[in-house]
Amino acid sequence: MFSNYFKMAVKVLGRRRFFTGISLFGISFTLMILILLAAFLDAELGAHQPLSDRDRLVFLDRLIMKLEAQDTVYQIDSTLVEGQMAYDSTPVINNRNRSYSSSSLSYSFADQYLHDVAGAENHSIYSSMFNYDLFINGKKLTFEAVYADEQFWEIYDFQFLEGRPFRQEEVENEGLVVVLTEEAALDYFGTSEGVLGQYVEMDGKQLQLIGIVEELSNSKGFLSGEAYLPLSLANPVVLNDDSFHGPFEMVFLAQSIESRATIKQDLERIASQVAMPEPDAYNTLVLMPADFMGRYAHSLFYMNDDPERSQQVMFIVFGALILLFVLLPTLNLINLNVSRIMERSAEIGVRKAYGAHSQHILLQLVFENIILTFIGGFIGLMLALGMLYLVNDSSILPNTTLRFNLPVFVYSLFICLAFGIISGLLPAWRMSRIQIVNAIKQNQL
Amino acid sequence: MIHLQNVTKVYQTKVIETTALHNINLEIPDGEFLSIMGPSGCGKSTLLNIMGMIDEPTAGSVTVAGQLIRDYHSKATARFRNEQLGFIFQSFHLINELSVIDNVELPLIYRRVSGKQRRRMAEEALTQVGLSNRMKHFPAQLSGGQKQRVAIARAIVGQPRIILADEPTGNLDSAMGNEVMDILTRLNQEQGATIVMVTHDETMARKTHRLVRLFDGQQVSGNPVKTI
Ligand SMILES: Nc1ncnc2c1ncn2[C@@H]1O[C@H](COP(=O)(O)OP(=O)(O)OP(=O)(O)O)[C@@H](O)[C@H]1O
Ligand SMILES: [Mg+2]
Repeated sequence: MFSNYFKMAVKVLGRRRFFTGISLFGISFTLMILILLAAFLDAELGAHQPLSDRDRLVFLDRLIMKLEAQDTVYQIDSTLVEGQMAYDSTPVINNRNRSYSSSSLSYSFADQYLHDVAGAENHSIYSSMFNYDLFINGKKLTFEAVYADEQFWEIYDFQFLEGRPFRQEEVENEGLVVVLTEEAALDYFGTSEGVLGQYVEMDGKQLQLIGIVEELSNSKGFLSGEAYLPLSLANPVVLNDDSFHGPFEMVFLAQSIESRATIKQDLERIASQVAMPEPDAYNTLVLMPADFMGRYAHSLFYMNDDPERSQQVMFIVFGALILLFVLLPTLNLINLNVSRIMERSAEIGVRKAYGAHSQHILLQLVFENIILTFIGGFIGLMLALGMLYLVNDSSILPNTTLRFNLPVFVYSLFICLAFGIISGLLPAWRMSRIQIVNAIKQNQL
Repeated sequence: MIHLQNVTKVYQTKVIETTALHNINLEIPDGEFLSIMGPSGCGKSTLLNIMGMIDEPTAGSVTVAGQLIRDYHSKATARFRNEQLGFIFQSFHLINELSVIDNVELPLIYRRVSGKQRRRMAEEALTQVGLSNRMKHFPAQLSGGQKQRVAIARAIVGQPRIILADEPTGNLDSAMGNEVMDILTRLNQEQGATIVMVTHDETMARKTHRLVRLFDGQQVSGNPVKTI
């Protein structure tokens, strides 16, 4: 039976070149966009270096201090009594924030309280970006530098093009070494090859270049600097500052995906147990951990201090984009299919008069549609590959390399199939229920 | 073979209500060649469609080959249609996208018949109507008479017991018309098919066993044709 449907579909599609052509154009264009979108989402949010373990990571880059106090608040109600306004006030006891301060963490806070968090298998403390101006051959370069510990390189599996990360003894003993991105090395030395072991002057120090890593996309702003330096090279004033706020953040590698929750719970417990240095100024401490999605969203859409809010905003924004790029072409395609199929009412009437029942018709039309979508999908795939090449070659998305990999291929296949079925099902279903005489009368063959 | 009892068909549109058939009672025995005549719009096609279970009567009952038709949309009715009936439509209704042979094979697709067997049966049917040399053509490449013969081949390929023909000679010149008429007569005589034919042509009607006349949806006569 299926080989029949297949043969029939090929015959019908081959004979109706005009409609087939129009449908194919719509389908391949739509699928090209979907494939590009899938490749983009995969490049941004997929488990790629240096975030191969992204599903087990818990990020901590927010520490909030508040002064909470119970306070009596008067709620004022007013009513009209005999033509006069009458006021009444009700006292309510409420928790009120009187002051609020939010920032990243200090090194000493991280070092003192957060080395031993339940559920974590490993953790790293590293700084946010410090900007340094470098002068080389009369040219000014600005490097964003990250001070990090050696676990930084264990948790984030950066792709080393050459050399190595810094080691524990270098982190502890102010080792004068630096890891640069390929682009930074290129900017500084004029070439990125054969420069390992040479010196970079930064922050008044001569640092030996020990490793070169691949550049990251800008959207991973929280990781993508130009230079990575051992933690102990950071300004001692900053390192020894014993206030809670400072320029550092942390990442925890959970023992398993589930134990991320344990880490968050333990951070909450720790926050509640920390003795506040000046309880009159701030008496409550809140740590704001985030999963990868939350952290990613937070660096794109900064929503106050709440990574979860940012994540919601991201999903809404991305969702709207997907809706725009997916829904419109799908509706268009359904519309096209409706007219393509409705136009064939007479044929369908004849088939039914000769003993086809609704299910035969439904299967035949959906089958035709799936074949059409797969042909369109193939063309769309070719177009998408071309577009990927163009996008990667241009600077539309700097440092984001869109790849066509297995997951993207699987998404595409799935998208094709879903598209084929969904866009064909509605008109096919309507057509399969049509009264035979009406179908035959509706238009002549 | 076909039994219509008090069949009425009313078309309801927004503007008017048309009674296409009014209380028709008709008994067509097995093996009869019946013709239906009447002025345009009197309900001939409607009557044929109801006999063929592709239109539902507004009132009354339809019995085909001993079966009272209740559900017009069921799988069983579809299968019954496939096995019992062969349609020849007023305007051919061939599928333009399919070649002649594929068009003729159509009824067999909805049966359990192997591809080879289908091809063989379709070739046989096309030979019967004298078109075995046009199998790979497409409908657009055929003359009116050839199209009508393809339509007949499609109607007879599944060897149905009933053939319903709506003006099978209406679009043809008299020579072609006679040829088609001969094919139908042969089917009736040699294979014992029950045939109901709508026609405008008195001479064609006279070649059948019985003539039913319709006027404004009502049956005005149903006498056996007197053979001259
Ligand atoms: N779908 C419909 N909706 C409304 N009225 C209809 C519909 N189909 C047929 N009719 C009406 O029913 C009546 C009978 O139509 P039918 O097609 O059976 O006539 P006919 O006898 O076959 O005519 P002809 O000789 O021209 O083919 C006509 O008046 C026609 O206008
Ligand atoms: Mg008619």
